[in-house]
Amino acid sequence: MPPTGSDPARMNRKKGDKGFESPRPYKLTHQVVCINNINFQRKSVVGFVELTIFPTVANLNRIKLNSKQCRIYRVRINDLEAAFIYNDPTLEVCHSESKQRNLNYFSNAYAAAVSAVDPDAGNGELCIKVPSELWKHVDELKVLKIHINFSLDQPKGGLHFVVPSVEGSMAERGAHVFSCGYQNSTRFWFPCVDSYSELCTWKLEFTVDAAMVAVSNGDLVETVYTHDMRKKTFHYMLTIPTSASNISLAIGPFEILVDPYMHEVTHFCLPQLLPLLKHTTSYLHEVFEFYEEILTCRYPYSCFKTVFIDEAYVEVAAYASMSIFSTNLLHSAMIIDETPLTRRCLAQSLAQQFFGCFISRMSWSDEWVLKGISGYIYGLWMKKTFGVNEYRHWIKEELDKIVAYELKTGGVLLHPIFGGGKEKDNPAPHPHFSIKHPHTLSWEYYTMFQCKAHLVMRLIENRISMEFMLQVFNKLLSLASTASSQKFQSHMWSQMLVSTSGFLKSISNVSGKDIQPLIKQWVDQSGVVKFYGSFAFNRKRNVLELEIKQDYTSPGTQKYVGPLKVTVQELDGSFNHTLQIEENSLKHDIPCHSKSRRNKKKKIPLMNGEEVDMDLSAMDADSPLLWIRIDPDMAVLRKVDSEQADFMWQYQLRYERDVVAQQEAISALERFPTPASRLALTDVLEQEQCFYRVRMAACFCLAKIANSMVSTWTGPPAMKSLFTRMFCCKTCPNIVKTNNFMSFQSYFLQKTMPVAMALLRDVHNLCPKEVLTFILDLIKYNDNRKNKFSDNYYRAEMIDALANSVTPAVSVNNEVRTLDNLNPDVRLILEEITRFLNMEKLLPSYRHTITVSCLRAIRVLQKNGHVPSDPSLFKSYAEYGHFVDIRIAALEAVVDYTKVDRSYEELQWLLTMVQNDPVPYVRHKILNMLTKNPPFTKSMESPLCNEALVDQLWKLMNSGTSHDWRLRCGAVDLYFTLFGLSRPSCLPLPELGLVLNLKEKKAVLNPTIIPEAIAGNQEAAVNPSSHTQLVGFQNPFSSSQDEEEIDMDTVHDSQAFISHHLNMLERPSTPGLSKYRPANSRSALIPQHSAGCDGTPTTKPQWNMELPRKGTGIHVSVSHLEGKEQPPLEMSVHAAAAAPLSVFGKEPASSKHSEHHHHHHHEHKKKKKKHKHKHKHKHRRDGRERGRGPLAFPSPAGGRSARSPSLSD
Amino acid sequence: MADAAATAGAAGSGTRSGSKQSTNPADNYHLARRRTLQVVVSSLLTEAGFESAEKASVETLTEMLQSYISEIGRSAKSYCEHTARTQPTLSDIVVTLVEMGFNVDTLPAYAKRSQRMVITAPPVTNQPVTPKALTAGQNRPHPPHIPSHFPEFPDPHTYIKTPTYREPVSDYQVLREKAASQRRDVERALTRFMAKTGETQSLFKDDVSTFPLIAARPFTIPYLTALLPSELEMQQMEETDSSEQDEQTDTENLPLHISPVRRQGASQGCGEGTAGKVAHPGRQGKKASGGGE
Repeated sequence: MPPTGSDPARMNRKKGDKGFESPRPYKLTHQVVCINNINFQRKSVVGFVELTIFPTVANLNRIKLNSKQCRIYRVRINDLEAAFIYNDPTLEVCHSESKQRNLNYFSNAYAAAVSAVDPDAGNGELCIKVPSELWKHVDELKVLKIHINFSLDQPKGGLHFVVPSVEGSMAERGAHVFSCGYQNSTRFWFPCVDSYSELCTWKLEFTVDAAMVAVSNGDLVETVYTHDMRKKTFHYMLTIPTSASNISLAIGPFEILVDPYMHEVTHFCLPQLLPLLKHTTSYLHEVFEFYEEILTCRYPYSCFKTVFIDEAYVEVAAYASMSIFSTNLLHSAMIIDETPLTRRCLAQSLAQQFFGCFISRMSWSDEWVLKGISGYIYGLWMKKTFGVNEYRHWIKEELDKIVAYELKTGGVLLHPIFGGGKEKDNPAPHPHFSIKHPHTLSWEYYTMFQCKAHLVMRLIENRISMEFMLQVFNKLLSLASTASSQKFQSHMWSQMLVSTSGFLKSISNVSGKDIQPLIKQWVDQSGVVKFYGSFAFNRKRNVLELEIKQDYTSPGTQKYVGPLKVTVQELDGSFNHTLQIEENSLKHDIPCHSKSRRNKKKKIPLMNGEEVDMDLSAMDADSPLLWIRIDPDMAVLRKVDSEQADFMWQYQLRYERDVVAQQEAISALERFPTPASRLALTDVLEQEQCFYRVRMAACFCLAKIANSMVSTWTGPPAMKSLFTRMFCCKTCPNIVKTNNFMSFQSYFLQKTMPVAMALLRDVHNLCPKEVLTFILDLIKYNDNRKNKFSDNYYRAEMIDALANSVTPAVSVNNEVRTLDNLNPDVRLILEEITRFLNMEKLLPSYRHTITVSCLRAIRVLQKNGHVPSDPSLFKSYAEYGHFVDIRIAALEAVVDYTKVDRSYEELQWLLTMVQNDPVPYVRHKILNMLTKNPPFTKSMESPLCNEALVDQLWKLMNSGTSHDWRLRCGAVDLYFTLFGLSRPSCLPLPELGLVLNLKEKKAVLNPTIIPEAIAGNQEAAVNPSSHTQLVGFQNPFSSSQDEEEIDMDTVHDSQAFISHHLNMLERPSTPGLSKYRPANSRSALIPQHSAGCDGTPTTKPQWNMELPRKGTGIHVSVSHLEGKEQPPLEMSVHAAAAAPLSVFGKEPASSKHSEHHHHHHHEHKKKKKKHKHKHKHKHRRDGRERGRGPLAFPSPAGGRSARSPSLSD
Repeated sequence: MADAAATAGAAGSGTRSGSKQSTNPADNYHLARRRTLQVVVSSLLTEAGFESAEKASVETLTEMLQSYISEIGRSAKSYCEHTARTQPTLSDIVVTLVEMGFNVDTLPAYAKRSQRMVITAPPVTNQPVTPKALTAGQNRPHPPHIPSHFPEFPDPHTYIKTPTYREPVSDYQVLREKAASQRRDVERALTRFMAKTGETQSLFKDDVSTFPLIAARPFTIPYLTALLPSELEMQQMEETDSSEQDEQTDTENLPLHISPVRRQGASQGCGEGTAGKVAHPGRQGKKASGGGE
């Protein structure tokens, strides 16, 4: 639960724009990261960090940092040993003894756990106690240097090791490691303040094998060999203040290429790929020039590095002065299709260098500004590079995507405000995850978020003009660069952070325009607009009566009020009208300029000034209207359904010059299967001036129309004669010309037409024999020997075409599919697929596009009943060691099989892979595909849906995916798709429907069986603040004597620990080792010791046995119904946890607890004394448990964790 | 020199086989060969200006000469068998000599040297009975550097040749058809072979042979095969870079007549891998084999 308004860090900063207020009681100025040893064999890392901080409050006694997975050996502050405690509530969100399986409950707990360690709220997993010797020093606000020794063993997230299992040294094997993660994930590989808003300067040192190269942020100052010359240390310096979240690392035997155009840019790739790297990056300097020119600002860092690595987490990841790309983006000069995609990735990452890396954000709710600006300038680059058509097409595509997503799943909110916990204005659009934190977001939502952000930026541009827009960006950048050069004034660094309010203020300063309504509509609110347009022409008045309706009641929609542009093409020309959309006015009268004078032979002027001859015979004789477009500039995030006569769409397709209009016309024409539509589409298809994507879309539309017109269709199958004319030899029309892809436009058309043609069906709903033969001939006569480009994508599409031609098998009841009853056409198809797939083994194609298509085609054959349905082939291709594209295609087939055949075994196989696969992207993708194509859904009965599966998935999202935010959110998405928000229906009903809540002295319906809608309200009703008293019990049992003893033990334990730290090969995933020095003063801390005993999760199951339930004794009496959680109490714990530290420090925990805890302690001590010298190892673990006890740690869900074993171990 | 000696040795062996001089024909044969070789060595030494030589050194030189000649014979045999023939041709010998590091060009001059000593023919006890064939015309006499005991030149009619040409196929459609089916056959045969010799997967449980799929095998470094262009592609790229592809576009039908011929020949001779590398392998091959037979 988010804290209440009392927490200053979380306050809505919108109004009081007084710069940045740090949520931390100190300012970080410099950090050293030193990794002394990287072991590729064991996949481990050893190193230390040193943070230089300046306290900003006098009584700073605790310092919270972020750290996950790292095992921390030792913490020193100004060379004094410091006690610390490690608690990560996100390791296990809800506790395992709970039988609660309700997603609502999980989402709340997860959001609470994430906020409990959220650096933007001043929290962290690692809490360090400032040694008492330094208190005086702190009170004078003097510098503190925190030195932390840590190691990382087999990291599951954050750092990814790729170690191919071949012979040779690590460098020869191409082993490499790189940092990765979703949003701020740096804490996974070194302790830091993992927030985008805490900037500092950096010194980074990496000692690696002499054959390896370490690439990191900033300038490479020097590389020093060790004495034995077997290793070298790379020293990097980053003097521009940067947040830890923008720090990255890549180590491997990279081949190095200095950019021939810009010497400060260096490219790195894996061995043997240098020629590809040269080609791929040869374009980058142009992107640089473009951005520097439009932003009138130099690239902010002194150098830039691109690293291409295998098994990438995402295709593009931008960090300060360095971007990490997937190696699969590399391509040679022969590859057409990948080239624009890769260039886009490069341009995208470079845009993020300016906005995202150099300029960082104040808080999560300002993320949209950065994503919006980087996406927007990337769009400008696209417009310049690929042309206006491509740009407009892209905008339309993005708009369609966001509209479809919002209408289907609910709104996307760009600027979530969490002031005072008021959620009424923002009814949670996504009930199954919280949007308050990046780490709780569904990946798909985040993708859509970025998409919407840049579209909104474009809307702002429409409003204030591009010139002003660029001025604003320039202003932000120059402010930031001034601030970044202030080496010793770290308070200035907050100028490098952008906030929503700061950004809006710049806009109003620069442009003098008020864009508040626009912001309110698209940024502060979620949802898109849905317009329905229809019209009538009033001949008498010569007026167009346009009716525009809106649907703003469906989920994901909102009401639009304001100007709307409508363009009317009349006989006399094109006219723009701006309508005011208001609450009640639906009808708009638009006067027409021209009388219908179709008899006069006259050229018709178009929007762009061009004048064309048109055949007007199709028109309505009474009306001068050719076509009408609502919101032609896409100035509203909307979906428009407008009604026009078919001839109007046809005119629009033929004569409107805007590609978006043409595409709209094409999709509208699907509904008008007439010869006139056919003709219009064919004409567009043939027209070479027409944008190639429009022509491609026309292919598919033509196929659909042809299918609807099948009984009246005359002539050869659609597109066949056209294709013959364009691509076949003149003397022998059945033979395709030898490939020549010099003209990319015709290449794309040549690729697409057969795919569309294969969708044609005859009266029996079969693919016409003629078409199949045609495609088979294309494959047969395909000859690429004289071509400058590879034909792998073309051939892959030919296989897609074959797959498209497959229709369901005519099957006699339950006949087993064998070779003998194989359809002869299918036999031919199968022959081709077999040959292609086998040839791939001998002469593999680029990115194995052909294998991918073959696998898909085989699945289509299986699904249509021509080939026995069997997942084993796909499973073998899905194994680790195949190229990732192949694996994904194979997995997709398995997912589909799981759904169609309802196979429990395959579902289990997939879920096992989600847990064990070495490649994070594949794990993520499996969940994603299962969510998109689920084996069953919440509203469906399925034999697959059983209790074991619920438990398994629950465990996966609860504790199995704690190392990867993206994966965990993926698991949540899947759980939601399968079971919905409330208790899964396949679970047995809870034993008792009523739960006594003694606290509120009333009985409530057991929340686990409350239907969804009510459950949601229930949550709102639980006001965290009303329960804070729970933790406010006095603790009469805590005594100073107890403390002394505990201290002695822990000191002893930590020594034992240090002396044995090298033997620690067993790896508890919670490296919660604590060192505690006797605190002999400041009694204010004392109560915490007892309170903390259960505020900390532990890795030891026996705690579970020995401690009673939390929630105090009150509960125990009613909850013999083990495992029925009681949300009210749960909430209260969270609330308490999120409260600021100082408050917490004064609140001891409940008496019941501490009593138990002490009891427990004594037991332990006895035991320990016995075995002290015999079992040092065990003893150390005991110590760790205990050691954790004394230091209080506020934890949200952590309240429960004390009792539970962390299953993630 | 070596050539002559080899022929001499061969001739000697032929004539000696029926000798009555010794009880063991094999020993006899060896002795005779040895003696001839010794004579050769001695005369070469004399030619080189030696007046006398120790027995041991003559023996050693003989030994060396013998092994040199044997190697030429062995190697020439291999070359001829490699091209599926049983009779070595001149070119086999030439290739052999080149392979052994001998400068063949110097051979004719050496054979015609002035201070050359002619060794008398080994004594022939039994003239082989050669059936008198029908002679047509006059055989060419031996040039002066060929000893007279060497066999005569073949009859003049064996030198007569009538070159035959196959009309090059120029119909575009046929060529394309042929190229396509040829490639398809090669691919099919190749993949079937691979499937037969390795592990396979099948789409039909009851039938593993009709559509055999070569089993998927994971790579240790999958991105290398996926990203790097294959050798075939690299080669193609080099070629298309040099030859102007643009011309092809509209003048599709006529100029292409030449190139398909070339391709066809190439794929016949060398398979996919080296397509288009050899300029006119078809014609060359024909000529070579015509001359040899």
